[in-house]
Amino acid sequence: MDAFNVNDDLYPLALLMDELKHDDVANRVEAMQKLDTIAIALGPERTRQELMPFLHEVAQDDEEEVFAVLATKLGDFVPFVGGHQHCQQIISILSVLASLEEPIVRDKAIASLNKISLELTNDELNGIFLQLIETLSTGSWFSSKVAACALYKSVIIKINGVTRKKLLTLYLKLVTDDSPIVRRSAASHLPTLIDKLTEFTAATKNNSADKVNNQDWEIISQMFQFLINDDQDSVKHLSVEVLVSILEFFQSVDDHSHNSEFLVSSLKLVNDESWRVRYAAADKFASVSKNFVSNESDLLKLVDPFISLMKDNEGEVRKAVAKQLPEFCKLLHDNVQNSVDIVLTKIIPIVDELSQDPQENVRASLASTITGLAPILQKQSTIDNLLPIFLMMLKDEFPDVRLNIISNLSVVNEIIGINLLSTNLLPAITELAQDDKWRVRLAIIEYIPKLADQLGVSFFNDELLSLCMSWLWDPVFAIRDAAVNNLKELTIIFGSPWAEREIVDRLLNNKFESIDEKIDYSNFIIRITCLFAITKLVPVIDQQVIISKLLPFIDNLVADRVPNIRFNIAKSYLVVAQTFKTTDDNSELEKLIKADILPSLEKLQNDNDDDVRFFASKSIQEISVLF
Amino acid sequence: MDLDTDVPMEDVSEEQQQSLNQSFDQGSSTAAGGANTSANGATGSGSHKTELNPSSISQLDGWLDKLSKCEPLSEEDVKKLCDMAIDVLQFEENVQPVQVPVTICGDVHGQFHDLMELFKIGGPCPDTNYLFMGDYVDRGYYSVETVSYLVCMKVRFPNRITILRGNHESRQITQVYGFYDECLRKYGSATVWKLFTDLFDYFPITALVDNKVFCLHGGLSPMIETIDQVRELNRIQEVPHEGPMCDLLWSDPDDRGGWGISPRGAGFTFGQDISEQFNHTNDLSLIARAHQLVMEGYSWSHQESVVTIFSAPNYCYRCGNQAAIMEVDEQHNRQFLQYDPSVRPGEPTVTRKTPDYFL
Repeated sequence: MDAFNVNDDLYPLALLMDELKHDDVANRVEAMQKLDTIAIALGPERTRQELMPFLHEVAQDDEEEVFAVLATKLGDFVPFVGGHQHCQQIISILSVLASLEEPIVRDKAIASLNKISLELTNDELNGIFLQLIETLSTGSWFSSKVAACALYKSVIIKINGVTRKKLLTLYLKLVTDDSPIVRRSAASHLPTLIDKLTEFTAATKNNSADKVNNQDWEIISQMFQFLINDDQDSVKHLSVEVLVSILEFFQSVDDHSHNSEFLVSSLKLVNDESWRVRYAAADKFASVSKNFVSNESDLLKLVDPFISLMKDNEGEVRKAVAKQLPEFCKLLHDNVQNSVDIVLTKIIPIVDELSQDPQENVRASLASTITGLAPILQKQSTIDNLLPIFLMMLKDEFPDVRLNIISNLSVVNEIIGINLLSTNLLPAITELAQDDKWRVRLAIIEYIPKLADQLGVSFFNDELLSLCMSWLWDPVFAIRDAAVNNLKELTIIFGSPWAEREIVDRLLNNKFESIDEKIDYSNFIIRITCLFAITKLVPVIDQQVIISKLLPFIDNLVADRVPNIRFNIAKSYLVVAQTFKTTDDNSELEKLIKADILPSLEKLQNDNDDDVRFFASKSIQEISVLF
Repeated sequence: MDLDTDVPMEDVSEEQQQSLNQSFDQGSSTAAGGANTSANGATGSGSHKTELNPSSISQLDGWLDKLSKCEPLSEEDVKKLCDMAIDVLQFEENVQPVQVPVTICGDVHGQFHDLMELFKIGGPCPDTNYLFMGDYVDRGYYSVETVSYLVCMKVRFPNRITILRGNHESRQITQVYGFYDECLRKYGSATVWKLFTDLFDYFPITALVDNKVFCLHGGLSPMIETIDQVRELNRIQEVPHEGPMCDLLWSDPDDRGGWGISPRGAGFTFGQDISEQFNHTNDLSLIARAHQLVMEGYSWSHQESVVTIFSAPNYCYRCGNQAAIMEVDEQHNRQFLQYDPSVRPGEPTVTRKTPDYFL
């Protein structure tokens, strides 16, 4: 697109101005994309005098696609008009675009305005920008008010106390606007505003004359009261976020005097008759609760509401609150005496119910967080109370539930120890290793190195090794690939002699206990998987094993009838050479490369298949760089 | 699925014919290269004229890298890619010979993330050989990325992947079912759509796996009794509204015997007697085709003389079907691998339980 040279700048310029008037929208959009090029070519002076008035016209009369591009481009336009002191024109075009009904255009215009605000001086902000906000806020049509809500955050902490109070009063009007869409916009931007004030207060350390005072909070708390009592649940549910921001402010200044009122509000939201509001409350439950930690009894008053959300008759609410489980329990654990009792007697029974929830998404959500309870309950309670739930969920009919439990088991390891976990889980693991869903099998494989490390070699050989080998023959490639990687990890853990004895000899058919274990190389997939496994082991196994066993295996496949095997052989040789390169005394190995590897590669270089020739040449070239 | 017969296609095919002649001229100007190719093509090994040069290879590898992240190529790169692809595809045969082992796949329909899932299930290309039986575009949200990726793979590894033409690889159909609009949305103009639909004319229409498995998108035609008759067709044109080439891309097998009128408005339905006769005449063990949604991802018909393979799981993000691919090994053993949709970032997740009345 930007195949634009400095030389032919001026001719395209006129062309582009024409293009902006083209009949076809696509052409105008494309021309608009090059707006910055035009502006650079024109220079600031002419941009202000010629381009901007033209754009102002365009912004009154074109298609939304063109507006959207214009709105985005103008965000970066300050340097092109000669700096922030000339930004009035840009802002007035953007304010037209921001008042449009099409949300895509509006959002882009707002983003650009907020971007420009960063380049303005405080005087300019207090002048043009503030005026823009006032005009939009008192506009007669909903769209300008919706746009206004998103702009307050750019000025709110850059103005003096008096103006701020005026601005907040104006915002209060938006919060109580007749139109729900305006109230919704005001409610969704309010948390950012409050967070800005929190930041500001922390930065000024309360010394400033313009510090946030009680009058400000009076207005904000009025806003909150309106929102929490709004008759539209699409507005009301946004008040949860507002509450979190307000709580965080008071927490940050260590003021707990309003906590009891806030607790009442919190409980009101949790018990709201609209499920969307309860959902929002459930979703933010921990964020709300963590602001009540200063007082044990406040926190305890939240336990019953938490339980009522877990029992909510709307599945989405149960799903959301299940996600909050470990965090909320941790808050109890850190701040309340006898917390373990409360968790055990009040929460765990409900967790047990949730683990058998009729909705699979609720169970999946619980499965992803329930293991987080183990550190809170400690060893014995985890064994007594959680382990049975884990085991049951591992048999859940919905694969995501099984998957979520397995992928989060490492937390549990740390608490109850791998031995106990593995003896309890081993039957479940062997069962899941044959799960119908390949992602469940994958999760198990990825968990194996961790288990192996802690189980020790003899237990591993007895219980898990044959499982690890069997994954190599899985019908799904991703599982075979993971199985190959797993063998490499195991070799790193148990060492080269173990890998030679237990893996390599099995792969090379030197060792099999029954005829069923013998590998049938007649299948292409089996040969290539063996090759991948052998190649993967090269960098982590003793050199002697490479020379005596792995390399002969690779050599054997040079004449394979399937080209895919042959070009992978070419790649394997490179891996062998690269591994040899890293050993200190490689003169012997260099001979081996010259006598064995290179001749084989040269043979492959004359193969009748293009890809075999390509990869053989590539390997030869890279080896010649190495040695 | 009626054909819109209002769209005039004559001018397009004329233009196509011209550009074909041009490329043949180019072919002969590079002397022996062209002649060599047709000889090679018949024996089934290396069917493009010259090996790729190193700079094309690194360019293709770069594109594949970008595309594998589901980022579309620039318009200029699509132009280069399509030029390179014509160089490869014009020398392929109407009945492209394919070696075993190979993994045979059905419709993908712009479901890019599911295509990536397919490679996770079957193994990455070029380590695994693939044969796709058409319908890469339309319906899904990522037709551009899907077809760019497959064409790019084809140019980079011509011997490792075969891409046949489906009934959706056509100017008319793509204007109705999404590919045209997607190109317009992603590139702001129809240039890329034109490049790809012009390229589609060069796609081979059938493939023959080790002389035993006949692969094509739709099905048989009453005007085709032997595979040699397919070889005689002039395929380099827009998919016609009727005739043998149309039938190969549009027909469906049916429980009723003989030939029947297709409810699709193009192609025919054919019964078990027809399939068995065709397999017997041409010494085939199987006809593999795609074109129809099947809930398990694959489905046998005509007492295992025809198999339907469909590789777009949860088709149109709502059908709740599984997808499948068929691995054929060196001994001609077949294994079907079924799979579910991948996790789709940023796409609507519609419940997979489809109400009965929808199916």
